[in-house]
Amino acid sequence: MSRVLAWVQERLPVSGADLRELTNEPVPNHLKHWWFALGGTPAYLFVVQIATGILLAVYYQPSPETAYESVRYITEEAAYGWFLRGLHKWAATLMIAAVILHQMRVFFTGAYRKPREINWMVGMCLLICTLMLGFTGYSLVYEQLSYWGATVGANIAGSVPFVGGLMRDMLLGGEVYNQHTLPRFFILHAAVLPVALTLLVGIHIAIIRVQGVSELHFEHEPKSRDEHFNFFPDHLYTELMIGLVLMILLAALATILPATLGAKADPLTTPEVIKPEWFFYVAFRWLKLFSGTVAVLSTGLIVFVMFIWPLIDAWIRKHTRFTEASVWIGMCAVLAIIGLTIWEAVVSH
Amino acid sequence: MTREVSGDRRSFLGWASSIAMASGLVAAYGTLAAFMGRFLYPAHPRAMGWLFVAETGRLAHGESLRYRTPGGATVNITRSGAGETEGDFTALSSTCPHLGCQVHWEGQNNRYFCPCHNGVFDPNGLATAGPPADAHQSLPRYALRVERGLLFIEVPVEQVAVGPGGVIEIAGPPGPGHDPCLYARVTIPPREVQG
Repeated sequence: MSRVLAWVQERLPVSGADLRELTNEPVPNHLKHWWFALGGTPAYLFVVQIATGILLAVYYQPSPETAYESVRYITEEAAYGWFLRGLHKWAATLMIAAVILHQMRVFFTGAYRKPREINWMVGMCLLICTLMLGFTGYSLVYEQLSYWGATVGANIAGSVPFVGGLMRDMLLGGEVYNQHTLPRFFILHAAVLPVALTLLVGIHIAIIRVQGVSELHFEHEPKSRDEHFNFFPDHLYTELMIGLVLMILLAALATILPATLGAKADPLTTPEVIKPEWFFYVAFRWLKLFSGTVAVLSTGLIVFVMFIWPLIDAWIRKHTRFTEASVWIGMCAVLAIIGLTIWEAVVSH
Repeated sequence: MTREVSGDRRSFLGWASSIAMASGLVAAYGTLAAFMGRFLYPAHPRAMGWLFVAETGRLAHGESLRYRTPGGATVNITRSGAGETEGDFTALSSTCPHLGCQVHWEGQNNRYFCPCHNGVFDPNGLATAGPPADAHQSLPRYALRVERGLLFIEVPVEQVAVGPGGVIEIAGPPGPGHDPCLYARVTIPPREVQG
């Protein structure tokens, strides 16, 4: 055994001390509270998504003639298919929720401020990627709501001035939903977006390693206390514990509330009541309030403002006396999002 | 002096070769990117063709039928007059111009309704409420032609067709379009694409 180790050591001269040095990022004390460790949660759930997604892709067939039947086969006939599909669905739901909660935590604690502006922007890209994964994944089921959700989503892209038509055509593989659409959604969902997300997560973590984790101080904590602890093994234990709790939660959700299958997509009939997944309720309600182009442009503007918020916030803090304006603006935005989401959830039209 | 000239020449050659190599890389990968983009961009055949829909006698005054184009779009064709000319028929797309959902006829409200974002259209396809009205988007019309008692529609003849165009159902009477809650459906097998 020692000869094997020596053989490996000779070719990969990395010692245990080197590995400890590589992983031992000093972690601020506030990360002992699990609600501050939500950044690792979506990463863990993403791994669950990759594992369950690869298994689901073994049976899934992305064409209008076969997609619905293959999802039905996975759900009703394949061994443990219902469970794996349930895990995939619930991990997606929790991943989106965790990304949103993580972003809210970063926003309200001001952790996006100098020098972390670029990482906030990378985080925004991660949020958009995650939402797109949710959208494309739901569209693959080819049930009535997912079909019409995909149609509406592609036409929303088509409402963007100048480049909208190109975006819609590239997404659908034509001007309307056709037999080339599902393969495109599948490639986006199973290849393009996961690779993009992996790269972005790598950049996100690399920037954190370069800059260090932002530090928060609480009034009740004595100042003399040691303000950091080791990533390995202390923080890793916290993350593993969160992972265990998540796995129990996912298994319970997938069993108690398994992924269902609605009526097969009918391109000739839009259902009387059509709703997207919960995380798009706010956008769906917004679209009902304004004409297509106005709604799309205003949504684009809101996303752009979120993207460059660290720069706007820095300007406000430098040139006005409203140094904590971001908190109030953030609270208004959260209330508006919750309000629009509930509004969409409780009414039919 | 000779050494300086030689240095300048070397420097120039160095720069020139770098620019040439960079240009070559940009041209090569640019061409590849253009090919990839064109590969992904779907074909858009703009050819229009006249396709047979039905004998005019199969639609009574006030009745309507749903027709599916070879590209997959659905059209509500209504007989609004008792004559035998194209003016006695109206063909409206049943795809909402807002975000692509299917509108349906609400007989009791004398309107087309889109359930996605509450778009409302009058019997002539004019948007009267909801996001389509705000954006002045009406239901697109298709050209019709009547020849010797046969009704034809002008539609895009797609290269990549969803299937042969044809009548999906006839429903009525009265009012444009159909109300699935009030009238039974009559399904007619799709016909072969012509011309």
